[in-house]
Amino acid sequence: MSDSHGHHPKPKTPTQQRVEAIEALLVERGLITSDVVDAIVETYEHDVGPMNGARVVAKARVDPEYRARLLEDGTSAVGELGFGGAEGEHLVVLENTEDVHHVVVCTLCSCYPWPVLGLPPHWYKSFAYRSRMVREPRAVLAEFGTTVPDDVEMQVWDSSAEVRYMVLPLAPDDVAGRSEDELAGLVTRDHMIGVVR
Amino acid sequence: MIADQPPEDIPRSNGELVFEAPWESRAFGLTAAYLEASGQDWAAYRAHLMAAIADLPDATPYYEAWVVALDRLLATDGLAARGP
Repeated sequence: MSDSHGHHPKPKTPTQQRVEAIEALLVERGLITSDVVDAIVETYEHDVGPMNGARVVAKARVDPEYRARLLEDGTSAVGELGFGGAEGEHLVVLENTEDVHHVVVCTLCSCYPWPVLGLPPHWYKSFAYRSRMVREPRAVLAEFGTTVPDDVEMQVWDSSAEVRYMVLPLAPDDVAGRSEDELAGLVTRDHMIGVVR
Repeated sequence: MIADQPPEDIPRSNGELVFEAPWESRAFGLTAAYLEASGQDWAAYRAHLMAAIADLPDATPYYEAWVVALDRLLATDGLAARGP
């Protein structure tokens, strides 16, 4: 629109003003440029996300040796597919089975394996999820529409400052008939956090 | 009480945006850019984030805690942004 006078933007909150003041300071000190910030945001909005983790899961489905390497050393194995970097340094992959269901939380903040899942969803960072998952995981999963049978052991993994977790979900029954792309398309972020089985 | 937490805080579907407002993405990008420029890794920031989340009321929006933590990291490094 050409008319820049016709709108009335909402007043900025103190936090928004703070962010602007911090950016101004860091630019003024020559520490960052706004272009670098733009590029980082662009990367995390578009290039890094659960599609990466889905590729990892799909490869593990069709390549048993890769699956073994993935469970042995997650960081190294996802690196084989070109995924790595911040918050992926100590990645542990947890394999769901008919007997065990894994689910991941970070009780203290928002630790999450960025290279394979991107930035965490809103609810992962919420006080409700962080506080309740350890205490009543089955109840929380029920709110995601997930029922874990009583005879399946539930293991809740609290991401620490050191370790990031990703769940390798149960494979579909018909893996043999599907391509790696198809298999990747069946995997969602919520599977790899463990809130969906 | 844990049971009193509103269940609507835990949506059931996939596909929400990574950031809910432009200032949130700005706060994230500034933090990443500053850590890179100052040769620090995310652990340096995350300690402040954990502390900020613990210090602030439970209902504080996540990215507000994020900005408090960024301010604290910068203060630790001798950088203090001017008001507000």
